[in-house]
Amino acid sequence: MNGDRFDLGGGEPIITLRDVAKSYWREQLEIPVLQGIDLEIPLGAYIALMGPSGSGKTTLLNLIAGIDRPTGGSLEVCGFELNDLDDDELAAWRNAHVGFIFQNYNLVPVLNAFENVELPLLITRAGRGERRDRVEQALALVNLQDKMRNYPRQLSGGQEQRVAIARAIVTDPDLLVADEPTGALDAKNAEEVLALMERLNSELGKTIVMVTHDPKAAHHARHQIHLEKGVLDRSVEVNR
Amino acid sequence: MRWIALIWKSLMRSKRRTLLIVGSLILSVFTVAVLQSLLTTLNSVTDNPNSSNRLVVRHKSGLTQMLPRSYEAFLRQQPEVETVCALQWFGGYYQDPRNFFANFASDETTLFQTFREEFGVANITEAQIKDYLRDGAGCIVGESLAKKNGWKVGDVVPLTGTIFPINPRLTIRLIFRSPKLSAENVLHFHYKVLEEGVPRMKGLVGSFFLRAHRPEDIPRLIERVDRHYANSAYETLTETENAFNLAFVKMLGNIGAIIQGITAAVVVAILIVTGNTMATAIRERTTEIAVFRAMGFSTGRVLMLLLSEGVLLVGAGGLLGVGLADLVAGGIRGSLGAAMPFFTDFAILPATMVACLLGALAIGVLATFIPAYAATRRPITEGLKAVG
Amino acid sequence: MILGLVLLLPFVAYFAWLVWALVAYPVPLSYNLRSLWQRKVSSFSTAAAIALVVGIFVVVLSLAQGLSLAFVSSGRPDQAIVLRPNARFELNSSIERDKMRILKVHPLLKREGDQPLASAEVVVVKLFPMTDGTDANVTVRGLERMGIALRPQVRLVQGRWFRPGLSEAVVPRKMQGRFAGMELGGNLRMGGRDWRIVGTFDAGGASYESEVWSDVNDVMQAFRRESYSAMLARLENPERVEAFVQAVDDDKRLKLEVVGETAYFRELTKAGDPIKILGNLITLILTGAAIFAAMNTMYAAVAGRTKEIGTLRALGFRQREILASFQWESIFLCLSGGIVGSGLALFANGIQTGTTSFETFSDVSFAFTITPGLMAQGVAFSLIMGLLGGFLPAWRASRIPLTEAMKGG
Repeated sequence: MNGDRFDLGGGEPIITLRDVAKSYWREQLEIPVLQGIDLEIPLGAYIALMGPSGSGKTTLLNLIAGIDRPTGGSLEVCGFELNDLDDDELAAWRNAHVGFIFQNYNLVPVLNAFENVELPLLITRAGRGERRDRVEQALALVNLQDKMRNYPRQLSGGQEQRVAIARAIVTDPDLLVADEPTGALDAKNAEEVLALMERLNSELGKTIVMVTHDPKAAHHARHQIHLEKGVLDRSVEVNR
Repeated sequence: MRWIALIWKSLMRSKRRTLLIVGSLILSVFTVAVLQSLLTTLNSVTDNPNSSNRLVVRHKSGLTQMLPRSYEAFLRQQPEVETVCALQWFGGYYQDPRNFFANFASDETTLFQTFREEFGVANITEAQIKDYLRDGAGCIVGESLAKKNGWKVGDVVPLTGTIFPINPRLTIRLIFRSPKLSAENVLHFHYKVLEEGVPRMKGLVGSFFLRAHRPEDIPRLIERVDRHYANSAYETLTETENAFNLAFVKMLGNIGAIIQGITAAVVVAILIVTGNTMATAIRERTTEIAVFRAMGFSTGRVLMLLLSEGVLLVGAGGLLGVGLADLVAGGIRGSLGAAMPFFTDFAILPATMVACLLGALAIGVLATFIPAYAATRRPITEGLKAVG
Repeated sequence: MILGLVLLLPFVAYFAWLVWALVAYPVPLSYNLRSLWQRKVSSFSTAAAIALVVGIFVVVLSLAQGLSLAFVSSGRPDQAIVLRPNARFELNSSIERDKMRILKVHPLLKREGDQPLASAEVVVVKLFPMTDGTDANVTVRGLERMGIALRPQVRLVQGRWFRPGLSEAVVPRKMQGRFAGMELGGNLRMGGRDWRIVGTFDAGGASYESEVWSDVNDVMQAFRRESYSAMLARLENPERVEAFVQAVDDDKRLKLEVVGETAYFRELTKAGDPIKILGNLITLILTGAAIFAAMNTMYAAVAGRTKEIGTLRALGFRQREILASFQWESIFLCLSGGIVGSGLALFANGIQTGTTSFETFSDVSFAFTITPGLMAQGVAFSLIMGLLGGFLPAWRASRIPLTEAMKGG
């Protein structure tokens, strides 16, 4: 590995960022958020992206997940050069390749657990029967098959987040992005969710990029990288 | 889960809001459907296909002026004419002056031939007609009128004259059924009763209804009759029956303009209210929409989803509103029809229903489009940040 | 009427409480007004919808008023109309010349010098061409000079009154726009001759504004009438009307009927009833729709401010103050719409229109007159919408517990 790259373990890169920059304009003033990000994340990695608030970690995550566009540089994720995709292609790409886990779970309150997990499958070619099988599998994986008909408000926070995780993996994406997945959970539930994510990484081989400011959560990842004022810290902590 | 279920559940997120807006829509669409149907009912009065080969000959100066009955001979001689029926509006009432129905003194010998569609002549037997012709003090009434007053064949109906100072006692000889309800709210009796009872009506009549063999002959006939009597003591005004009826509808004045004005105002109001409701509903779901899009729903799909919600909402309101209008149509027929004879035929026509529904759907799309489009233009990252 | 007052009572009482609350309680009104402003789009669209409904309300109201005015303002309590029995309306009636001679010298009639205050009149209906190319039935009234004096609300606007024997006519100013060839100095074709228009008149909205007037004998001749239609006469005082009714009824030579003029026109007014009822129903239904819309907006406003309301409660505002404050917010919202809507209705002001009386088979023209009174009714109406539409949301707001302020949002 050359000195510019982080050593995040061997293997094929699933995410390759080259000189990625992102800035916002506020009243004609350019505010740089990310600068010169070069990053290669291999398939099957579990990365915790750390940094103080305002460091640009969520922005970086959004760029990798293809819900935001860089102002400079290029991103190749899951075999696609994201700059080459238009909005609709990008949407289709996200559906096929990325699963999202949010801090506030973002379940649809009027849909029950089953229906929430089924949502991303609605835009695939999967038929009714296939959808049901996959939703049931995903819910079994997060150990909530008995809560299938429950609505979000009938679930605990930890359960809600597990439903959200089931929703993220139901399309069988290569990449999972998580933005403070434990931020709204108590210690016990957080531990459960983190254990689940670890399993997804080790057993199903999902590549996971998780933004967190909680060192305990970061410790569950295999590698930690740090972002400071929009620039990557060269040091990589290897947890295991 | 199907798409429709997703749309339905999104609508039911705030049941109260959905119910209120649907209630608002039902009432608005109901109003528009009823008002528009009043217009179409009025228009149908002047657009009766059965009367397309009938003409009305009357005095040029107006309805209250009489023509000599001797004109009938000339009219009958015209080769285009099939029959001529002398007919006078009697304007009498039965028991209560407010109990309005049309009653005429008419030439019984040509009445059935001239108005064969209105009397449903196919269902009347020779014997029944003979019964009426034989009894000089007999009358015929429409079935709905008979039902309303509880009359049977053989009953005696005392009419009180308002225009003419006679109060004939008439025996019902025939109760006819008509394809048009308004044509059943009618009573006819022998012309002789009027002519012999009112000295000033001797040899005079208000109008002649002609039936031409073919509708194409009508313009020629009008021209010839009016020219023949031009500059005579009794000048004539000849026009098609539809044109004749138009003069009565015209009497309702600018009702059409008022109705269209109210309709336009209601449509704009629905558009605003629905737009506002959909904007609120969509704003509440900013985060959710961002999540949908993050999961891979394309902007087009999100737009369709939201538009479908708007369309379903307004469509439901429209459907129920039109349905409600159809339910109360009978009541309107009864109440308004009693005061204004045109409205005896009041009905929400299928065309009106379809127009109201299409209009409602268009409003649904239009009202939802702006907030929905704005929602899809919003960056996903911003939507995820929004508190909501 | 009594029922209406009873129904209105709770509103008045509640509104009085609201006004009192404004003075007696520390209602944070400016907070509510600012909140309305903050949700501009929502507030404006609701107000606009209410404005449209109030606009319709005022226009329908003016329509009904125009109709009533056309008939009601036509009658005087000390005057009576003589008709043929059962005729009900002048148009249906006829009085032979010899009977008219007897009537004219009836001792009960009021006199001016040796002239009885009575006018023998004839009424016919004639088709006139309208400016839009179609025809409409118009009443043509032949009357005596005294007949003009018996109708004090009728005022000459232009030219002069007709003179007998010259085939002269006067037309209502209001018919001039709607009917063709009605300008001063023009000719009307009636009963086979030409009539010169020598004057125009105004009748303050009375039904005479739908009639063409000329001399009674000229009209009878032209239309080949042997008999008059009716006689209008003034009595010494309103109490004499009954005596006159009785006297004519008892006179076996006459076989005629007398109706008090006000009662006569009251009967005619009923022709407008279906339109009035329909108009009222439409407004009632649309009001329901508008109240739902206002409720929706207010519920959304309350739901969006749960935390704020909790904070207000924590600051020490009582439930009734929160109730009053949100109720006022709703009232302001609807009232602003109501004021705009009443203003919108002004666009209909002065539009001439006509309708028909099915009793007389002739055109009754009248104008939409948007009076300040009607506009005030429109505004009052929007106030009621504000009360009704805002009550439930305001009630809900007042029940929001203090603890809501502490919750995260």
